[in-house]
Amino acid sequence: MHDFMAILPLVATGAGAILVMLAAAFESFKKEGISILGIGLFAFAFFVQLTVESGAPITPYGSVFNGMLVTSTFTKGAGLIILACGFFSAIASQTYFTQNEGFVLEYYCMMLFAACGMLLMTMAAELITVFIALEIMSLAIYTLIASDRRSVLRSEAVLKYLMLGAFAGAFFVMGSVFIYAGAKSTKFADIGQVVAETGFLTNPALVGGSLLILVAFLFKAAAFPFHAWVVDVYDGAPVPVTGFMATAVKTAVFAVFANFLVINGQLQEGWVNYLFYISVLTMFVGNLIAIGQNSLKRMLAASGIVHTGYLIIALVAVNSEGFTGSTIIFYLAAYAASTLGIFAALSYLGGEGEKRNSFEDFNGLAKVRPYSAACIAIFLLSMAGIPPTAGFMGKFYIIAGAFQGGYISLGVLGIFSSILSMWYYLRLIIAMYFREPEEDFEVAEMTLAPLGTFVLALSVFAISFIPVVI
Amino acid sequence: MLTTYLFFGLALLAVLGALGLIIFKHPMNGAMSFVVTLISLAGLYALLSAKLIFAIQLIVYAGAIMSLIVFIIMFLNIQEKDLPLDPNRWFYVAGGIIVVGPIAGLLINISRTLPATEVTVFDDGFGSVKEVGQLLFTQWLLPFEIVSILLLVALVGAVVLAGKRGVN
Repeated sequence: MHDFMAILPLVATGAGAILVMLAAAFESFKKEGISILGIGLFAFAFFVQLTVESGAPITPYGSVFNGMLVTSTFTKGAGLIILACGFFSAIASQTYFTQNEGFVLEYYCMMLFAACGMLLMTMAAELITVFIALEIMSLAIYTLIASDRRSVLRSEAVLKYLMLGAFAGAFFVMGSVFIYAGAKSTKFADIGQVVAETGFLTNPALVGGSLLILVAFLFKAAAFPFHAWVVDVYDGAPVPVTGFMATAVKTAVFAVFANFLVINGQLQEGWVNYLFYISVLTMFVGNLIAIGQNSLKRMLAASGIVHTGYLIIALVAVNSEGFTGSTIIFYLAAYAASTLGIFAALSYLGGEGEKRNSFEDFNGLAKVRPYSAACIAIFLLSMAGIPPTAGFMGKFYIIAGAFQGGYISLGVLGIFSSILSMWYYLRLIIAMYFREPEEDFEVAEMTLAPLGTFVLALSVFAISFIPVVI
Repeated sequence: MLTTYLFFGLALLAVLGALGLIIFKHPMNGAMSFVVTLISLAGLYALLSAKLIFAIQLIVYAGAIMSLIVFIIMFLNIQEKDLPLDPNRWFYVAGGIIVVGPIAGLLINISRTLPATEVTVFDDGFGSVKEVGQLLFTQWLLPFEIVSILLLVALVGAVVLAGKRGVN
């Protein structure tokens, strides 16, 4: 029974996806009905995940699944974030598609399938399982991006993402092959044992294999040398899908990235120096790209690169003995709440066909829609890391962890990058509060996204009270 | 000794076929060149006495998937004049080689360090349907199960992308 409870969120999401898929085939289900169903299923899966007992890692159905799934407090936290991201993205989508075209009835089904793949990714403790989960997630996301086939922008985004994603997937498979050659197994536990017995740097196949797998993860997480696709793809996707990609996909990738790195302390030590430079470069290159953007969506995409940099700091400082990953989960939760909040707000403020997209379009928002402007300001301040928001606490835990781990310069560079990022976050706040409004920001009636934005603004403060042991 | 020659011959063919795929200009030539890669890979699997994978590689990849690809290319009826002008093609190919070259060198060096064990003779059952099936349904049950979700996602995704435009 314990085992079944542990994988129940996965089952609930998968079964929910199939339910929506079947419902979409009926004539009597219309857009509204299916939206409510999708939102409800995400909420249900979230509560199921909440009931899973946290504690020491367990391997559900260890003998049947051959120890390929492992659930722990870390996977529970990641699962909660992923399902909450799905819930709020679904709410934002409901509103978005009242003003924008390109809705297909299978939209929520693909969203649930993507969440199912992400949950699998967080739980997987074996490379081939990780690969299949990665592909489940990616295929569903490709479909979500391109569901409006009449738009050239969407097609361009999905082609870029598909080609580069396939390339990253190939790197992952090649890496798995080399790891199998070096360790005679693809299971995390067995790899850890081989590393403990024979050492990491003395085993070239393991080193090469983990390099290729790291490349695939860094690609999916949009870290420095592999960040070029992010801005175009995020810009080309529909607003709620961009929000879902920026938060849920990142959560899943970092969960599996951390699980892979803590297989063994030696494996992590072997890569720490490189991850150090990658995190510094990711933060500053992301900042440079973000400063140059004039479109809000592209700025948020580029700021996503910067946040990847902070998360890599957390990975550098992670301790493979008694790994809990609480700082990573906390930062992901704080980042997800504020990013999703902005994208939910953009979903109803964006107008028909996403016509409001640049900084100038939001001039004087505070005078016309003061509550929405206040929420957006809260999200931006949280992303910039101003107390008392969750974003500040997240950065605080990560940088404190870096200091504790002895990476003083990395922590200082993190603070510096955070100051640099104020430039583009405050730019929008200035536009909203200190400029004169040019239009009246009409929005569609009867929608859920404003409510979702408000709830997320509250949770930005609520999350900051969750205690974390570094 | 014969297996060594066969291995190098098939490996060379596989690489040449893959090179042809990216170098030929017309998609049909590329597809035909890719068939060479798929068939020589089947030969490599056979050398490893993986009988089932050998058969699957021939039937599914070189057979079914290739005929679908060829069918689509013929369906689109691509002529020489439809192809885009690509004057910088060789420049890009050279750039790609420069980028990927060091990685390939690294991987070749790594595979040289693997212990050179003598050919192990397996029992008759190795690589047969029964043995692979037993392994798949006992040790690799979870990947086998979740592949079904992957296929379902691919199926629904294809229907969404290729279906009627603009429902509701």
